[in-house]
Amino acid sequence: MTELFDVEGSDDLGAQKVRLYPVTRIQGRADIEVHFTADQAVVEARFRGLESRGIESLVEGMPALRAPQVLARTCGTCGGFHQLAACMSIEAACGAEVAPEAQALRELVCWLLLAASHVRTMTYFALPDFALPMSDAAVKNVSGIYMIDQESVTRLTRALASINEALQCLAGNQFLPAVIVPGGVSKLPDETAISKASELLEGCEDDLRETMRLAEMLTRRESRMIETGTPLPGYYMASTSDGRPAIIGDEISAASFNGGEPVALDAQGFIAAVEERPVTWSYIVPLAVRGLEPAMVGPLARLNLGFGEDTPIAALEGGRVSEQWQHPLNNEFFFLIALACEAIWSWEKARNLLERGWDDTSSPCAPFEVVSGEGSAVVDSPRGTLAHVAQIDESGKISAYRIMSPLQFNYLTVNEYLTSVASETVRGIEISDAVAARLQLAVRSFNPCVSCGTH
Amino acid sequence: MYIATVALSACGGCENSLLSIGEPLIALLSEHTVSFSSLLVDRHTVSPCDVVLVSGCIRSSEEEEVALEIERTSRKIIAVGTCAVYGGIGGLRKRPEVSSEDDDGALPEIYRDVAPLDSSVAVELYVPGCPPQPHLIMDALKSVLEGYTPLHFDSTVCSDCPRKVARKASKSLQLHPGPGVPGSTCLLNAGVVCLGPVTRGGCRAACTSVGTACTGCRGPSDAILSSQMHAIHADLTGYISRTSGARQDKVEKQLSNILEVLYLFTGKDPVTRSRVKERVPGD
Repeated sequence: MTELFDVEGSDDLGAQKVRLYPVTRIQGRADIEVHFTADQAVVEARFRGLESRGIESLVEGMPALRAPQVLARTCGTCGGFHQLAACMSIEAACGAEVAPEAQALRELVCWLLLAASHVRTMTYFALPDFALPMSDAAVKNVSGIYMIDQESVTRLTRALASINEALQCLAGNQFLPAVIVPGGVSKLPDETAISKASELLEGCEDDLRETMRLAEMLTRRESRMIETGTPLPGYYMASTSDGRPAIIGDEISAASFNGGEPVALDAQGFIAAVEERPVTWSYIVPLAVRGLEPAMVGPLARLNLGFGEDTPIAALEGGRVSEQWQHPLNNEFFFLIALACEAIWSWEKARNLLERGWDDTSSPCAPFEVVSGEGSAVVDSPRGTLAHVAQIDESGKISAYRIMSPLQFNYLTVNEYLTSVASETVRGIEISDAVAARLQLAVRSFNPCVSCGTH
Repeated sequence: MYIATVALSACGGCENSLLSIGEPLIALLSEHTVSFSSLLVDRHTVSPCDVVLVSGCIRSSEEEEVALEIERTSRKIIAVGTCAVYGGIGGLRKRPEVSSEDDDGALPEIYRDVAPLDSSVAVELYVPGCPPQPHLIMDALKSVLEGYTPLHFDSTVCSDCPRKVARKASKSLQLHPGPGVPGSTCLLNAGVVCLGPVTRGGCRAACTSVGTACTGCRGPSDAILSSQMHAIHADLTGYISRTSGARQDKVEKQLSNILEVLYLFTGKDPVTRSRVKERVPGD
């Protein structure tokens, strides 16, 4: 629904704005406002988060050992990653060490969560834009694709079912991994669970590879838009290990969309460089990383940083993408292919970990005492980099908590990019269905989760 | 028939669970019409429907308006997830004031407290869980579309839990499994605060089966919801006392420091709060 309003309090008499509400095929409630001058030129486009739950305030005063289970509910998609970051922050505050086996299971679970999230995002949110770009809203959705190309949807849902079942075997839950607890994990997988999960993942390979071919074909169809489209501003950024993207990395790497070598920050330096840039018109508080702004985190950022040799299939696919198009990939039309590449990458990472050989006789969880202190953690989630900072008081309760979510890191870029797209596509004060769809596509390509962004 | 989905104040976990149903859901949606769902289709107005799946609780003026609008336009409302059913984790405590002053006052007002969905609208069916498992959402949806009685779990999480109650249980309580509880031992018996005995079953004991305590995300069992004789606090205290041999007042004293972990998901549920034997913090 689009609505037209006069902008109150504007210096420009006669200034107006158009509101597009709600933004569809994303998680959470948001709108887009396009602001115009009195002579109907676009001044600014704003993607606004309309909700706020106050998760940080909910855990203040709570026993630190139960806080991760609340913080996991920061986001329905990246919940496992928030849970992991919460555990890591508490461990850092208490000086606890996590055993290698437990660390491996945590990563394994997170790779599977990342794969599942990307497959879901492709199926329901991204594919309709690429498979049915010119279609009417009534059919531009997963049911519409199912009617004309059932096989593609079946491939994706079959892969999702297998990944979710593997998660159930290893983590007890396909959404929030109960197994991840402060100090490690509550249980290491036995041989039966490892063998079943391996079997399930083997069955996904063909479906994920075929999906990659579909994404490649659909992206190629957008070649003209890629050539003429608005380039992304600023920097792409992700948690990395040895310069390659990682869920739990040892530094945060960033490089400019205009080219140049990546720069790296350690986790402490990264958190210290983060600045809040609150706006009055949205419940999402933008975050800027000093010297690296505006930044983009998420699948496209990680793909631009390049996959390592330990995942040869993903590295090959990533290389093919760079050869066909460019490096860095720098506009919204690479979103689908980034998701497809990362689905293979995370699947391959999970498969490697399953094959590593597990010692289920080692202790899954280090006993540790909750002590007062401050700890932080940075991890990469399906939607990009997120960070947690926990302060614990003498009674073992959380005294202060801070969450930095992917959409917050992306928010300056989202609005700058959206304004560029609106300036190019909106003509006059009327927003046609096609232009509304284009604006939403620009937002969707950042894979936004409003619930997580506003928390 | 016409189907809709709406998310109010939620993390999106219930929506993910819905989407994870996969092909059976997509096939079902293809046979019917999605009248409104910002999650699934590009329609921008709430339009009439036969059944609407609503996740999330009410935390803002906008969510309250949306809830009332769907009540006007929908025949049957299914509350999906613990936020919609009980208020969820948002009910843990009042949040600080949030300024909703936009340049032109257009942001929704955020309330300090949450309310479950049925505080504003009449709900036909409840699917608790944080999030509920996909098959439970699918069963609820199909039961309304096809007119059969949906799955109902009147047992507790303990009924699905593979762990066994030991004869000699730990007398001290903790929130953490420590170096791990053996796979066959009841977590409560090992001294880990687990809400399994007082929580509705149907989750296949997802948490306890991997050695993590139940946090009560599916809400109170039928026994607690249906009688003033029962309560989360009283029943759990009695259970721990009986199985550990510890005096009830000693158990109560240990639990008093961590009361809010008993009500992570139900702190704002009017039924839970109305039980005389409950000790919901903030009362």
